[in-house]
Amino acid sequence: MTRNNSDLIIFIGKRLLQLVPVILGVVVITFFFTHVAVQNPCAIWAGPHATQDQIAACRLKFGLDSPLTDQFWAYLSSLVTGDWGTNPTTEIPVLSTISTAFPATLELVLASLAIMTVLGIPLGVIAANGAGRWADHFVRTFYLSGWATPTYLGAVILAIGVGPVLGLPTKGDFSSTPTFPRPTHMSVVDALLNLNLPAAGDAVLHLILPASALAFLNLGIATRMTRTSMLEVLPLDFVKTARMKGLSEFRVLYKHALRNALITTITILGLTAGVLLSGTVVIENIFQWPGMGEYAFGAITGYNFKGTIGVVIIFAIVVVISNLIADVLYGLLDPRVEWR
Amino acid sequence: MVEPLLAIEGLSIDYEVGSGTFHALTDVSLTLVPGRVVGIVGETGSGKSTLGHAIPRLLREPPARIRSGRIVFRGTDILQLPRWKLPLLRGTGIGMIFQEPINSLNPAYRIFDQVAEAVIVRKARESRALPNPIRAVEPHDYSQGKPVKTGSALLHPAIPSFLGGGSRIRREALRSEVLDYLKLVRINDPETILELYPHELSGGMRQRIMIAMALSAKPSLLIADEPTSALDITIQAQVLTLMKELMDEVRTSILFISHDLGVIAEMADEVGVLYAGHLVEFGPVEEVYAAPRHPYTKLLLRSVPNRYKTDGPLPALSGSVPSLAQIPPGCPFHPRCPLVRDVCEKDPGPVLQRAQGAASPTHHAACYFSEEVDTIA
Repeated sequence: MTRNNSDLIIFIGKRLLQLVPVILGVVVITFFFTHVAVQNPCAIWAGPHATQDQIAACRLKFGLDSPLTDQFWAYLSSLVTGDWGTNPTTEIPVLSTISTAFPATLELVLASLAIMTVLGIPLGVIAANGAGRWADHFVRTFYLSGWATPTYLGAVILAIGVGPVLGLPTKGDFSSTPTFPRPTHMSVVDALLNLNLPAAGDAVLHLILPASALAFLNLGIATRMTRTSMLEVLPLDFVKTARMKGLSEFRVLYKHALRNALITTITILGLTAGVLLSGTVVIENIFQWPGMGEYAFGAITGYNFKGTIGVVIIFAIVVVISNLIADVLYGLLDPRVEWR
Repeated sequence: MVEPLLAIEGLSIDYEVGSGTFHALTDVSLTLVPGRVVGIVGETGSGKSTLGHAIPRLLREPPARIRSGRIVFRGTDILQLPRWKLPLLRGTGIGMIFQEPINSLNPAYRIFDQVAEAVIVRKARESRALPNPIRAVEPHDYSQGKPVKTGSALLHPAIPSFLGGGSRIRREALRSEVLDYLKLVRINDPETILELYPHELSGGMRQRIMIAMALSAKPSLLIADEPTSALDITIQAQVLTLMKELMDEVRTSILFISHDLGVIAEMADEVGVLYAGHLVEFGPVEEVYAAPRHPYTKLLLRSVPNRYKTDGPLPALSGSVPSLAQIPPGCPFHPRCPLVRDVCEKDPGPVLQRAQGAASPTHHAACYFSEEVDTIA
């Protein structure tokens, strides 16, 4: 019945091993989709005014004339050795773009997850505690309006309407391009690592609007799940036991009831990470956030196959890892869960 | 006369749900003198749990609605207390043990943290870190009883520090006090149990922990809402024996709610019989059992199997408990009563008063024909 820490390590190891088939799967699907759907990408890669010879040279250069399976094996073996290919038009390596753009996106996603957690979960508790009363209706109106707003509309309203009114920056991650080294490519983290507090404050201000846009649109899930599971937990006897100890209502709700209700919310938040990532494509575009969403969009529309596959791999890794984190938190919150 | 610890006066509680209004309790009055154990017995749906939950204001309002009445605990009407003062009433004032030990402990915390929390709340109040607006709620000092030592821990008034904060000494004092309470409820290996989670314990063990937790707050009144009904019969006997022993040791007042007449006989000094939300009889337990003054009590006692009964089937009460949405007018028991006359159907029904022909002056019944109850075969 009791759990060992070694079980947790084995559990995490097993789940990380699952990454291999997942990545292989998404690579196979994306590779064949892109290469079969677009018959002659060199017509685009070589430019609009390219001659037949130039196109032929391009096909030779990218090995497009060899059988598709050979192309796949060549790509896969280079992928394994760490060469994720280059953008066919700009010749910039895929990995170098992703390594600077992905942290920026991750920062945005984490910031909005933080907002969803500190705002969405208490709202769910408030709604459940006053179920059927005005607080409940107010909270529902709030999160449904976010849930029902299309991503681009909500982001545009924040960028054009709310941002200027509150004096919050709506473009980019810094007011001026930072001169300090960027070890992590996360704006706030880098500024803090350089002990540059004004820059860190500036970065936080820049983060508020895009993160809020992303959070507001997805807050509904966290609030709704918290409300539902709180409604299941609140009638249980241990909540009465907590009340009968003479604890304050705040402690009863947040220490005793929420701890048990959070399990569902955590699972959903883990699943939401994927939704948030795809949401960044639009949000980053509107707020000119130097992240991966914009790169993904460019890679797909520009027939940058290797860039597309690279983005898909990163997304797959993030989804698997965020679910893993959710499962680990799940076990930490509920001692009855066994690591398997 | 001794000042009552708890006096319930004319308490009526309804549940208002979509399909109608249910009268869970109608005009219930009873008093509990310090140091006594009052049993409340009744069938499922007779309102006994509602009564137990109403006293510390645990009912969710709505759907529950307190129509009228007063619940006077140590001179304070609990029903008049603002919501924010309720936590101050609970714990050190009134403790409670619930029916289902499976659900009554928080599955997410270790036993130590859960018991320690109750101790911390009490210590905070003892050191007046929290104001106590409930007049004269001096908790019983169980340290005067046999094994509990609390003196050492009192030197370190605990500020809530169970998140790992606080000094090591304070934590050690807390730990030894929690251990004392686990020993008080006869837990064999308390050091190990402290570190376990509720799901790693058996039902009987969990109920012992619940009792330890309730007692560690040193309440003036302990409400036990069917504390043994969900347990196996052997465990039930163990827990009852424990509670009986503890009653002698800690001398607290207990409101003991059960559907089991045998358990009530074992535990209580006085017993109240609830029928369809009405208190139909109240009195010293031996007298009520030997010479009931309400037909319902008589018939209820008659339907209890007496050891190994071999001479034919058990007599059962004919009919069934009325729906709480449609309680019969007059005496709620009249449709099933063998003594029924015309007057029984008329509103208002009989009130609880000193029963005719009863030996003890505290023996009350709500029946016009109390002296005829003995004639029921």
